[in-house]
Amino acid sequence: MAKVVPRPHLSLWENLYVVEIFKGLMTTWGHVQKNVTTGAFETRNYPEEAPSLPRDYRARHRLMKRPDGSPRCVACFMCSTACPARCINIVAEEADRADIEKRPATFEIDLLLCVFCGFCVEACPCDAIRMDTTIGVMVHDNRRDFIITKDKLLDWAPADYPATDTQSQKAPGGTLNAQALAEFNAGSRH
Amino acid sequence: MLSTIIDWIAAHPYQVVGLVLPIVIPLALFQILPLLVLMERRGAAMIQDRAGPNRAYIPIPFLNVKVRGFGMIFNLTDAVKLLFKEHFTPPFVHKGYYRIAPAIPLITGLLTPALIPWFSPIVYQGGVLSGQTIDANSGILMLFAMASLSVYGVVLGSWASNSKYSLLGGMRASAMMISYEVSMGLSVIGMLMIVGSVSLTDVVEWQGQHTWGFVVQPVGFLLFLVSMFAECNRNPFDVAEGESELVAGFHTEFNGVKFMLYMSAEYLHMIVASVLIATVYFGGYQLLPIPGFGPEWVKAHVGQVLAIGLVGMALGLLGFVWVIKNRKAIHARSDSNPQDKAERAKEYGLYMAVFTLAGLGLLGAAGASWALINIERLGQGWIDFITAAVQFNIVIAKALLFCWLFVWVRWTIPRFRYDQIMDLGWKVLLNVALVNLLVTAVVAKLIG
Repeated sequence: MAKVVPRPHLSLWENLYVVEIFKGLMTTWGHVQKNVTTGAFETRNYPEEAPSLPRDYRARHRLMKRPDGSPRCVACFMCSTACPARCINIVAEEADRADIEKRPATFEIDLLLCVFCGFCVEACPCDAIRMDTTIGVMVHDNRRDFIITKDKLLDWAPADYPATDTQSQKAPGGTLNAQALAEFNAGSRH
Repeated sequence: MLSTIIDWIAAHPYQVVGLVLPIVIPLALFQILPLLVLMERRGAAMIQDRAGPNRAYIPIPFLNVKVRGFGMIFNLTDAVKLLFKEHFTPPFVHKGYYRIAPAIPLITGLLTPALIPWFSPIVYQGGVLSGQTIDANSGILMLFAMASLSVYGVVLGSWASNSKYSLLGGMRASAMMISYEVSMGLSVIGMLMIVGSVSLTDVVEWQGQHTWGFVVQPVGFLLFLVSMFAECNRNPFDVAEGESELVAGFHTEFNGVKFMLYMSAEYLHMIVASVLIATVYFGGYQLLPIPGFGPEWVKAHVGQVLAIGLVGMALGLLGFVWVIKNRKAIHARSDSNPQDKAERAKEYGLYMAVFTLAGLGLLGAAGASWALINIERLGQGWIDFITAAVQFNIVIAKALLFCWLFVWVRWTIPRFRYDQIMDLGWKVLLNVALVNLLVTAVVAKLIG
């Protein structure tokens, strides 16, 4: 059953178009005036002006840190196994602490392959990888730069994260670091 | 040999100018094209609450500033892109026509300025230098003939493309041209009847002695304006391109330089149409819509008129400096990254400095023009040419206002459906034009 949409009835005045067109022109002129004189556009100057993303947005990854600054990652390959895009490349090596078995020698994520699904975050048993950096704009000049390495993934400051994010604050420089470091050196793995 | 040529030129300035103008004026009009493209793109952006094209830039080496020229640089990048694109010809086209067709609208667009009076006729010892290059008796009729030839390029291109979308676009363009040519001709006849001549110079001179055309022929002006929109294939009458239905209409199969020719022809026709509207209904090179300020008055006070024009431009520039200052402040407050903020601040600072200097320079030039340009100091020849230049600029200024109207309307009104266009053309505009003609004829006869 087709739905019959009634045609809007136009008065003679509206049917002449002239006045209605003039009204329309005045509307657009208002926009021109506002935009030319103030320059306050509705749009955003992407990518110079990065959009302000919420914390639960799946943005660029970061590797979480232990209180001493080493990555929390134990190179279990859970994330790279879960990854549907196979963009995580880990090389494991023996850790230097007796109570920690392995650590990543390299940890690379190819952002050009990544589909930002967040499965790696779900898969991680150690809360070592997260996607809460709110870095949504990734601009590089060549493809090599889109493969982010361990150093890049570890390059974040606890000050940029909320105080309620205790895991981040336990990293070096964080508000909870001193106590956490003492516990860590005493043998706690955090 | 050379000295004899120079002597001859010095002895016959009017003849030399008359020889050079037919080449200079179309080229001068061609220089407005980049401005129009910018006007279209930025105008669209302003209407739609966005920034518009502002990425392409030229780095200035020593100042270390990226000059983006309000999107002006995009004209350069566009031209480079279109010129260096692969010269691709689809295998199914008619090769000969396909290559000729894009040139036709551009050629007719460059020919029509020859028929427009750009300045009042200059009487000199031994002849008259007319503002029209071709001062034919047929006047406006020849202009219409030339202007409507451009549709041949569209139709030929669409036919040669051998593609159904192109063909449909071309057919629409030709049908629309036929429909609206009628009401355009009939609407302008009212004005010609009042003036009593088909020569455009006479039309403009009449407007100088009485008042501008849109006052005596408001309905005719409106009809002419609408027909001109249709003639130029501009929104709301751009069904020939109709990208929502016909891919890109008549230029679907054209790319690179050929596409550029079509586009520049479209903008050139927009200029010519604007100039024509300004000439027939807005006094052409006349300064004011009241009698007493005709060409003789302008010639007698050309220094002052030029000074007022320059002051107007200077005020415009200084107003623009204020706008840039606002932009700069807003951008400094925005959440852009620091590097970008620093670059923008520098760039806006450069603009403000340059435009302030230019504005002050224009104010100085205005003062100089007020004080120095007079007949005692410069002699008849210079005054004649300066007057002609001022009048040319009056026409261009009026035409640019109408160019803005073209852009403004394009981004305000949605496109008409094809049958609506035909209805409007044949059932409304034609009838109104005929009634307007009748009423004008009766009133003109009664008043005398």
